[in-house]
Amino acid sequence: MRLTATSLSKAYHGHVVVDIPNVSFGTHGLEGLIGPNGAGKSTLMGLLTRRIAPTSGEIALENEAGTHELNALQSHDVARIGLIKTNQRIQGFDGLSIRDNLALSATSSDREGLSSIFDRTRDAEDIEARVAALLEQFSFADPDGSAKSGGEKKLLDILRCLVAQPTMLLMDEPTAGLPDDITQSVMELVRKKVDAGEMSVVIVEHDLPMIWKYCDYVHFLSEGQMLFEGTPDDVRENRVVAEKYMGV
Amino acid sequence: MEYFIYSLSLLVIYVGLAQLMHVQFGLLGIPNFGVVGFWGAGMYLTGVFNVSLNMPILLSILAATAIVSLVAWALGRMILDRSGQAILCATLAFSSIIGVLVISEKWLTNGVRGLGTIRYPFASSDFAELGFAIFILSVVIAIFYVSIRLRDSRLGRVLLSIRDNEELAASLGKDTSGTKRLIFALTCGVMAFLGGLSAPLKQFLVPYLLSPTVTFTVWIALVLGGKGHSFGSIVGVVLTVGMFDILIETYLPLPPEYAATIQNLKLFFYGFLLVAVIMFRPAGFLGAGRMGAKPKHATSTTKQEAAS
Repeated sequence: MRLTATSLSKAYHGHVVVDIPNVSFGTHGLEGLIGPNGAGKSTLMGLLTRRIAPTSGEIALENEAGTHELNALQSHDVARIGLIKTNQRIQGFDGLSIRDNLALSATSSDREGLSSIFDRTRDAEDIEARVAALLEQFSFADPDGSAKSGGEKKLLDILRCLVAQPTMLLMDEPTAGLPDDITQSVMELVRKKVDAGEMSVVIVEHDLPMIWKYCDYVHFLSEGQMLFEGTPDDVRENRVVAEKYMGV
Repeated sequence: MEYFIYSLSLLVIYVGLAQLMHVQFGLLGIPNFGVVGFWGAGMYLTGVFNVSLNMPILLSILAATAIVSLVAWALGRMILDRSGQAILCATLAFSSIIGVLVISEKWLTNGVRGLGTIRYPFASSDFAELGFAIFILSVVIAIFYVSIRLRDSRLGRVLLSIRDNEELAASLGKDTSGTKRLIFALTCGVMAFLGGLSAPLKQFLVPYLLSPTVTFTVWIALVLGGKGHSFGSIVGVVLTVGMFDILIETYLPLPPEYAATIQNLKLFFYGFLLVAVIMFRPAGFLGAGRMGAKPKHATSTTKQEAAS
């Protein structure tokens, strides 16, 4: 799994937010993306998943099925080839129960055609099992109702992405708004899936201890540019990162 | 008796239209304000095929349905990815265009002089009228059956997700544009089918039939009954069309000088009902119904309503 961007830039009204000659994600297992506020981290995530149209540049995803040029694809096509992103801002489907949120995400689109209207059962057993397993691991006040608190919604957002079994998962500030113990269980689960080779992950995060703890590789973004990348230890000891980010 | 059957058939057609709007707006979130356009196009095309081309009535209805579905698909391609307000304006404009075309294209529609006579299928039979009413009723029952199944289906869940957060649905791999287009084309096609069924009821088609009142009546009924509830359309239409157009205007023994007053009272009453419902039961008389799709473990409706 390799997600690469070449000559990628995004400008709003002439103001350049992201300008990256070359970057690739997905070859190091669990990767972190850090940088000060306004560095362009979320914009970069949006660009990579085609939610934001780039001003210039190419994005490509290589997996077992071959190389996919993402520029020509729409948002839903990107998700279908296995690239999914969690949301920084709380989002959800309020009209759907928590269980249905997960089942919706787990169900592939070719099983959601017109003929599904007349199917006797709604979800296949394997889908229900996947959903039930997650709901067993992470408890919600009422899995058959809607997500109530901000924390539940945030957790649901992450689980919704995990249950879709992406080959590459981008996580935009997953810990913001989550209690510490839940963050930890989420990260343990992510770590397990990465180690099992099920997916690669890029995490955007301000919680540096978490980055050092879980990530195998870290990218440093500042003012729209990739300034440094390396192992957590390398990044921690790097002078540029220290100056620009940690205010040392 | 004949008039009663006619009124009841029309009532059932309104229920069908409102139920289709329940799918379009209640489940999928498309604010279609051009109901009369799709219904009217279906009705007029049926008339043209039947009267000018001498096609059998049922075949005319099917042909009209197919054409309107295609038009709706093309229209949907242009407008469905825009904002709700834009869709509202565009569909309203579409119905106005249909209204204007019906008046201006005299060679086809006979303009304001009207197009007729459109007869019932099997018109020679003694039970043509009753039989046709039963046919209309079965069509609308079928619409209900499909829409209720739809709501509980995997596709229905996708519709709700698009209604709630389209961008998020797309980011999870759902083809939101394609789904909206498909459902819009199909449901508008069925509106046209109901229009085709209305043609023999009206017998003689005049442009006046395509007034925006049809759209507004359907919308008022839908909002009154509950746009998200599977049976909101029935309650809404019975309260509006049923109460006024049928019960009060036709069967209440009122002196003739009240005729004009009743028309105005009707609008007043609709408005009053609408304000009252929006103030006290924003989700409509029947509420939002079950949230999303059916959970396997039974949970009470009241609990879910309280949550939503």
